[in-house]
Amino acid sequence: MQTKEMFTSRWGLLLAAIGMAVGTGNIWRFPRVAAQNGGGSFLIPWIVFLLLWSIPLLMVETAMGRHARKGTIGAFGRLMGPNYAWLGAFVGFCSMAIMFYYSVVAGWCFKYLSGAIGGGLLEQSGEQYWTAFQANGWESIVFHLVAMSVAGAIVYRGVIDGIEKASKILIPLLFVLLIGGTLRAVTLPGATAGLNFLFNPDLSLLLDYRIWLEGLTQSAWSTGAGYGLLLSYAVYTSKRDDIVMNSMTIGFGNNSASLLAGIMVICSVFALAPADPGAPAAEELLQLGGPGNTALSFLWIPALFQQMPFGRLSLILFFFALVVAAISSLIAMIELGTRIFMDAGMDRRSAVKFVVVGGFLLGLPSAYSIQFLMNQDNVWGIGLMVSGFLFAVAVNKFGVRRFREELIEPARNDIPVGRWFDILLKWVIPAEFLVMIAWWLYQATISDPRWWSPVAVFNLGTCVFQWAVAFILFRLFNGRMAAATLTESEG
Amino acid sequence: MQIGTIVMMVLVLGLVWGGFAVLLWMSIKAERHGD
Repeated sequence: MQTKEMFTSRWGLLLAAIGMAVGTGNIWRFPRVAAQNGGGSFLIPWIVFLLLWSIPLLMVETAMGRHARKGTIGAFGRLMGPNYAWLGAFVGFCSMAIMFYYSVVAGWCFKYLSGAIGGGLLEQSGEQYWTAFQANGWESIVFHLVAMSVAGAIVYRGVIDGIEKASKILIPLLFVLLIGGTLRAVTLPGATAGLNFLFNPDLSLLLDYRIWLEGLTQSAWSTGAGYGLLLSYAVYTSKRDDIVMNSMTIGFGNNSASLLAGIMVICSVFALAPADPGAPAAEELLQLGGPGNTALSFLWIPALFQQMPFGRLSLILFFFALVVAAISSLIAMIELGTRIFMDAGMDRRSAVKFVVVGGFLLGLPSAYSIQFLMNQDNVWGIGLMVSGFLFAVAVNKFGVRRFREELIEPARNDIPVGRWFDILLKWVIPAEFLVMIAWWLYQATISDPRWWSPVAVFNLGTCVFQWAVAFILFRLFNGRMAAATLTESEG
Repeated sequence: MQIGTIVMMVLVLGLVWGGFAVLLWMSIKAERHGD
């Protein structure tokens, strides 16, 4: 079956897919994770796992979406058989659950951009501004609605007039903002200390397994490998479109944006960190977790940027970059949900309305309570590892070699795919997942005596409980989902 | 700037930014050829 909508060019798909991968996490998560894990040493596993986890899974997603011409439920059902559609439902729900709170965070970016433009952000300390914003529960809800509405309006216009057109503006703009911010940061006095911190490696740290696990987590989290988002975009690509080089370009593009953001943030922090003895040092600032792990962006960046020449302009550009990154990822998440409902027979406009209204309502708990948001970030962020593994399971069930020969090799690939793909999918990716999950289970049980509790914010019990509820419900309704999705309805 | 910083900057930025630039160039070239 062919869908009517298609990306008009390889360039359009690439920009949309890079927009999907480059999100707010590149700007605030990468600098913090790199700082917490040894700076230069961390960059080595981060690049290794780009090649050994993220790029192969991006290739799998592209091939599955194009093969099935359906969203996650239909793609898993088509590849593995109707009895396995529920695995695709879990993958799709994982990304949708992230969308519910990601839109709230995107709303924070809108709020801070408006504060930087209006000047309110500069009149108080970052902490005062944040506290006043969070105390005003309705404001967080209004900006959550703004974020969902803006991204929803883009998806509502369709793949060509909405997603592709918006990406052609947003992504070059985002890179211009990041490059401008990076050039500004490296020319600040004292920025060299930031470069030393980010790049100078302590090779002995490579013997610590945690660096490797954090490298894998960051790579998967940031590139979007295993989310099902690229799968949803691949539905709208031509059969002859390159799979290998496109997946590599998305992965390298994402990591390039992370490095730009890392240099921009880390050099700014080192150059502008307060000199008073009581204030946190630059290294400490970079490692702060804070609300939703955003302390650096929402509490400190405003304070730091105020001190520099053209500080207000820099602040506006920083939060504008965050808004652009957030929206380009949010539209991919809304498209993922929209595609699933279109597969079940809805037209695009009704499906977008349903996803946007549903996403707004299900995001309300996260907009109202930061504890709830942090819980969801933990549960479904780790859930993405499971989700990525399910893609490897699907390919192994179908047959790795058959998958390569029938679904990847027929495309016009400028870079040939060889047996290395079989080895990665059959052995390397499952091994990476098993080691990581085993490590997480071990750490979670020894470090928390109440690890079994299903109602804690961060623990093993809450993750397993919520995943189990999702798996059981999707398994129970598998027959109905498969029947609704695997019919030859036109999307 | 420390020597380790310079070496890692050349390696990491060369691989990631250089790789991205080459892949983009190859994509543009392929698109011009109608692939």
